[in-house]
Amino acid sequence: MTAVVPERVGAFRSGQRAIIPSLFGAGAWGLVSGVAMVKGGLTVPWAIMMSLLVYAGSAQLAALPLIVAGAPLWVIVATGLVTNLRFVIYSAALRPYFAEQPLRKRAALGFFMTDFTFALFMRSAQEGKLPEQHRDAWFAGVCTNNWLTWQVSALAGIVAASYVPTDWGLEFTGTLALVALVGPSLITRPALSGAVVAAVVALLAHEMPFKLGLFCGALAGIVAATLTDAWQERSPPATPASA
Amino acid sequence: MSDPVSGIALGVVIVGLALSTFVTRTSFLIAGARLRLSHRVEAALRYAPVCTLAAIIVPDVLLHGANATLDLSLLNPRLIGALATGLWLCWSRNIFGCLASGMAAYSLARLFL
Repeated sequence: MTAVVPERVGAFRSGQRAIIPSLFGAGAWGLVSGVAMVKGGLTVPWAIMMSLLVYAGSAQLAALPLIVAGAPLWVIVATGLVTNLRFVIYSAALRPYFAEQPLRKRAALGFFMTDFTFALFMRSAQEGKLPEQHRDAWFAGVCTNNWLTWQVSALAGIVAASYVPTDWGLEFTGTLALVALVGPSLITRPALSGAVVAAVVALLAHEMPFKLGLFCGALAGIVAATLTDAWQERSPPATPASA
Repeated sequence: MSDPVSGIALGVVIVGLALSTFVTRTSFLIAGARLRLSHRVEAALRYAPVCTLAAIIVPDVLLHGANATLDLSLLNPRLIGALATGLWLCWSRNIFGCLASGMAAYSLARLFL
């Protein structure tokens, strides 16, 4: 056991606080995912196990119809894998921030990362709001609250599936939380052009299987943002840490 | 149509899906020291959040129904909700207000439009 370092506890708490206002999004999304698991035909124990082990709403919802249809196992797992491909980009983006951390910590922080927690971390890092020496503790705080909220609400959705109204569009809260998170970043030209290109490509490619349209859109957007950046002839911002 | 996946096979699927989450999320964080991207690429990845979120949000707001048809009209409840959140965001960074205004506008639009 290492001694408790007050600054690390402070960083963890600060991360926990940073995500609190947005937890309605995680809660609504978890609840709806939980309901969908059960209404899709999974029994309660399997739905709970899936929620706890997989912890990736979009991959779970993509796999669900295939499970119900009795698709080959490798097809189901491959679908989950491709739906999760965007996380590879996130993982590459986070690498420099945690390069000096031990392997087990990098693995844990990676597993508990989600769309929202990743974007919140990156934005806070770019705005210089992270406790530099303890960003791992800050991110752990963010991810802990997100995980707890998502799992508790998913469990509620699983257990009380028949009582949760599915026609209220509650899951849209999750999308709105992403809107509120991304909005303030759109003030620079590279970010705005990246977002527009990403959105257009994702729309055009939405018929691609496994949410690949999302992945292609994200890649195209990153290229567009970088080109805009170069075109503006700004000095290339340094990557964080020792990289 | 075959029977739903169940029993041990379902357990295998869940473990496989869990691995797919783990492998993708930890990929570069685990292998980063050996499998390094160039500094240029890593610098470009600061735009990853904005671009992936745009690629998640915009289709979710604009594509409708089972056929996922494009709905750019201002009568689209999701578009109304997203715009309400965006407007709220322009004068306040209060996230709760953003979510509440967006959901209120979205729900009202679904009720009345």
